[in-house]
Amino acid sequence: MSDATPSYASHATALPRIAVWPRDAQYGTASPGKLGMWIFLVSDAFSFGGLLIAEGILRAGSATWIEPGEPPLGVIFTAGLTFLLICTSFTNVLAWAAAAEGRRRAASVLLALTAAGGLLFLLGQYQEWFGLWAPGLVHEGLVLGRSARASTFYVITGYHGLHVAVGVAYILAVLARFLRGTATARDIEILGLYWCFVDFVWVFVFSFVYLMP
Amino acid sequence: MADAARASEGVTAERHAEAYARRQYVAVVATLVILTLVELGVARSAGIAGPAARSALVLLAIAKAALIALFFMHLRFETRILKVTVLAPLLAPAVYGLVLMADAFWRHLR
Repeated sequence: MSDATPSYASHATALPRIAVWPRDAQYGTASPGKLGMWIFLVSDAFSFGGLLIAEGILRAGSATWIEPGEPPLGVIFTAGLTFLLICTSFTNVLAWAAAAEGRRRAASVLLALTAAGGLLFLLGQYQEWFGLWAPGLVHEGLVLGRSARASTFYVITGYHGLHVAVGVAYILAVLARFLRGTATARDIEILGLYWCFVDFVWVFVFSFVYLMP
Repeated sequence: MADAARASEGVTAERHAEAYARRQYVAVVATLVILTLVELGVARSAGIAGPAARSALVLLAIAKAALIALFFMHLRFETRILKVTVLAPLLAPAVYGLVLMADAFWRHLR
């Protein structure tokens, strides 16, 4: 990779102008930070893949997946959380576009909205597990350790929730740096890779844990 | 004069590209919402047999994940080698999952 100063050029015709890394023969204008984030995300995808495969094996091997007394999962409520995560991926990518175009105020507001959406998702997950305005799954009889279904549910959704919590902290850290002028559109793009990965993984969690008959 | 016109054309083209990118993002969000509604319909429909529903849900999830990776994570605009670097390793858990499904199906037949 060349060590020249990053230039200000068109990333692609369909994307806004952005300060890009010098072109490399194999990896184009992807910066080392971006490549590092991609490698981390691929390894992280394996951990989710392992958990979902484990759930599939336990489910396929059990005569009764839903033990007597266990509640059904709130599919409609979780579909609402899914829409919320999709919206935060949208606001995140718009924040990157705004930062690339030099609209710093819009980028800051959109990043703050993304973080707020992440916090709302966590609040929704807390409601689903423990209950805030209605009884949670724990009170309804889905208790960690009592069945394979309960254990895989809490481990998988908890691991994803941990990723959301880390993502919110990451967004707030980048937002603080952006407001101070020390973060650029490139930092927001790398952050966006992580945040959209949280949405990417949730697509499979929602399908395999909540929807699969 | 000609330089000013070219510069103006450049700015206009750039704004078109930006507007195009935004329209693309809106279209992706709308498609994701529609696919999620289809997933809900498939999961809650009593008329679809278990294996067909499971296959449809897996395909819908892959379609949604592909949209997120290609457009929101900008994988579509990366080089072929970066795409392969990211996507090829993901085939491993997919193949492993298929092998396990085939194994479960085989046990069920016996």
